Amino acid sequence: MSTAGLVKCVVWDLDNTLLRGTYLESLPDRPPADPAIIGLLAELGRRGIVHAIASRNPPEAAEYAAQATGCEFVAAECGWGRKSEALARIAAGLDISVDALAFVDDDPYERAEVGAALPGVRVLSPEDAAEAVGWPEFSPAVVTEEARRRAGLYRQRHRRQQAEQAFTGSHEDFLRACRTEVTIAAASPADVPRLHELSERTSQFNSAGRALPAESIAALLGAPATDVMTVRLRDRFADDGLVGGCVIDRRQDRVWTVPLLMMSCRAIGRGVIDSLLTWLAGRAARRGAAAVQVPCPVSERSVPLRLALARAGFRATADQAAGPGRTVSGRIVSDRIVSDRIVFRCDLGTPRPALPDWVTAPGEA
Amino acid sequence: MTGLGRPGPAVIADELRQVLATAAGRPELTAITLDTPLFGDGVGLDSLTGTLLLRQVRQRFGVDVAAEDLNLDALATLGTLVTFVCGRVAGHRAGGDS
Repeated sequence: MSTAGLVKCVVWDLDNTLLRGTYLESLPDRPPADPAIIGLLAELGRRGIVHAIASRNPPEAAEYAAQATGCEFVAAECGWGRKSEALARIAAGLDISVDALAFVDDDPYERAEVGAALPGVRVLSPEDAAEAVGWPEFSPAVVTEEARRRAGLYRQRHRRQQAEQAFTGSHEDFLRACRTEVTIAAASPADVPRLHELSERTSQFNSAGRALPAESIAALLGAPATDVMTVRLRDRFADDGLVGGCVIDRRQDRVWTVPLLMMSCRAIGRGVIDSLLTWLAGRAARRGAAAVQVPCPVSERSVPLRLALARAGFRATADQAAGPGRTVSGRIVSDRIVSDRIVFRCDLGTPRPALPDWVTAPGEA
Repeated sequence: MTGLGRPGPAVIADELRQVLATAAGRPELTAITLDTPLFGDGVGLDSLTGTLLLRQVRQRFGVDVAAEDLNLDALATLGTLVTFVCGRVAGHRAGGDS
């Protein structure tokens, strides 16, 4: 599937890779950055791919590299441990899969070590990297405003995480203290590229388990009894822009089906998915529906999404007759039947919880 | 871990409290009672802390809650999770995965 291939972060070695020479051996002078690599960093950055460092050097070498290249690095692992472990820590810190990493190092031993320990990582020599700009895994189909600002958003996220560690109240209080604002709204044609990009980049929070082509999203905008919704997120640290969305199929007016529910993993833990599910159930109940259902893959990757569904009161249904095969595949999501999905259903008979006051959404006061 | 048969509910409960406190970054969770809800007002488990919790449960006890419990009902309270893990931990540690 298309999401498997895209590189989200390139992890760079320093000595004889980003830098022309060896940092520690060149002191007190410091080796200049490789000009070809500087161009590469900037080009990949324009495509929404972020950069990180894994180097056998003291931490100040990473600061120097940032200065010498003029590039912002979203993470730096400086030390003498295995580079595969450094890459795993970088991926965990960014909340992305290690399979979304590429690794560039001039040392064949380091490349072999990473390649053996983390077979999903694209392992490249500096020469390969120069060519890689043309490869599909480094070439997202669309580059949105959110993508161009991605490196800055990771930095702001890091500041938010530090603030939360120092915060003593509940998580809900923390979101409030950050002046979190979640805005749910109907999608406009201008949102289509970002919604497509999101469907391509999301894996943990993508109930369809796959990307939705931009043309399909555009076609859904005007479709009868169908809503395409966007979710935007901002707080005092950053404006994250469009971080989530869903498609609502209301053709059966008693049972609404959500063939696609997705959220950027950058927005995890910030009330976005819960707000969207609460709004969705409340909206369906007010319009007279008896239930909302979300087909969702049951896999290791979908655990965060299933946790959100469980919290919002969705339950797996035994009845798969109206499940993924028809309601979903017929028109909207797919050209093939996805059989590994379970329909999670929320019955709307019981009173619905209110949305937090920091959520703005259609039909809410 | 023990190598002397399987851990009892009290041991599992204490280990889960530790895991929760670490995952959520809230040391006070080491003192929660068995009837504390894990979602909502209790522990306030979100997708991030929930995923970390389930991963730790799998690593420490060899129990894959997400695979076995479709609705994640085991996460209702600390007590339900302890019961779920206790019910399945037999046999996993007998082989010794220290």
